[in-house]
Amino acid sequence: MAHQAHAYHMVDPSPWPLTGAIAALLMTSGLAIWFHFHSTMLMTLGLVLTLLTMYQWWRDIIREGTFQGHHTPPVQKGLRYGMILFITSEVFFFLGFFWAFYHSSLAPTPELGGCWPPTGIIPLDPFEVPLLNTAVLLASGVTVTWAHHSIMEGERKQTIQSLALTILLGFYFTALQAMEYYEAPFTIADGVYGSTFFVATGFHGLHVIIGSTFLAVCLLRQIQYHFTSEHHFGFEAAAWYWHFVDVVWLFLYVSIYWWGS
Amino acid sequence: MYYKVSGVTGKLTGATAASAYSPQGLKGTVPSQAPPIIFAVPTKVVSETGSVAHYMGINKVPELQMIFQKTDGAPVHLKRGVMDKMLYRTMMGLTIGGTLYCLMALYIVAQPRKPQ
Repeated sequence: MAHQAHAYHMVDPSPWPLTGAIAALLMTSGLAIWFHFHSTMLMTLGLVLTLLTMYQWWRDIIREGTFQGHHTPPVQKGLRYGMILFITSEVFFFLGFFWAFYHSSLAPTPELGGCWPPTGIIPLDPFEVPLLNTAVLLASGVTVTWAHHSIMEGERKQTIQSLALTILLGFYFTALQAMEYYEAPFTIADGVYGSTFFVATGFHGLHVIIGSTFLAVCLLRQIQYHFTSEHHFGFEAAAWYWHFVDVVWLFLYVSIYWWGS
Repeated sequence: MYYKVSGVTGKLTGATAASAYSPQGLKGTVPSQAPPIIFAVPTKVVSETGSVAHYMGINKVPELQMIFQKTDGAPVHLKRGVMDKMLYRTMMGLTIGGTLYCLMALYIVAQPRKPQ
């Protein structure tokens, strides 16, 4: 067997970038076909291919790291840089929506009544469910840190329990937000208030779901003994992402729910 | 003397051998047992030698490591044999089929509609 004389990881040729690209093509053109010709077949196929690609791509990364030992310290460093850069790009993504919100709310136009919230909009009370949501996410930040310390100390049972609790809190947040969306006295079609509110909080909610899924995968891996007390970057990446989601919510809460009400 | 990085201060502190390196799932072998208390009827001693308390399943990682490190030249996405191959073929089928379907659909919708 040929041995490499360096600590880096030359990955095996993989078909998943191709299937991922095709999946993106199918999803986007499928979306256009759905809008204009009422058929969801292409879009559904694209969605299925995307999910399968994600499953297999990340399954392969787990195989390469946990089972084949390719994630040496330099490789792990690269993965850390990658995750940090990805989260930074997400920060900029949200920055755009905050820009839109502040653009409209700092100088409300005459069409809105010259005030914010605009005339006719009944905003949600920031000290009811939104405050509970804030507490839920902050608590989940504590439990995910507890899980991390448990992993580092080799406490299997505590790690599983605290990680499960974190995920449950994430689901609780999602359920509460869904209920708020249903009960809200305004919709996305209610002018720029509705647009900025639902697009910003909507994308945030999507990120909560993504973060909860990431943590759930970590929980499954933890149960299957993948993480060691020294090496558990998958979990760290999930925890970073979760903290990012929490911080975005804090900004949303303060800007849109509280100041904007 | 063993050392560990303290979870609280982030600094190097002293530690016992057990806490310096104990990846979960690989903890201790023989737990210390008190000698059996002799009553009128001797208590049954359950031997735990060599077994680790299993919380939510046993550790299959070493076994999987052996499977994935076999020098059979297979790329990582096909390393597990038949299941991997079937999934890969299904994916490729859907991908190529989907591409053709997509190109055809786009060609059709790009045709101008007949004037009425």
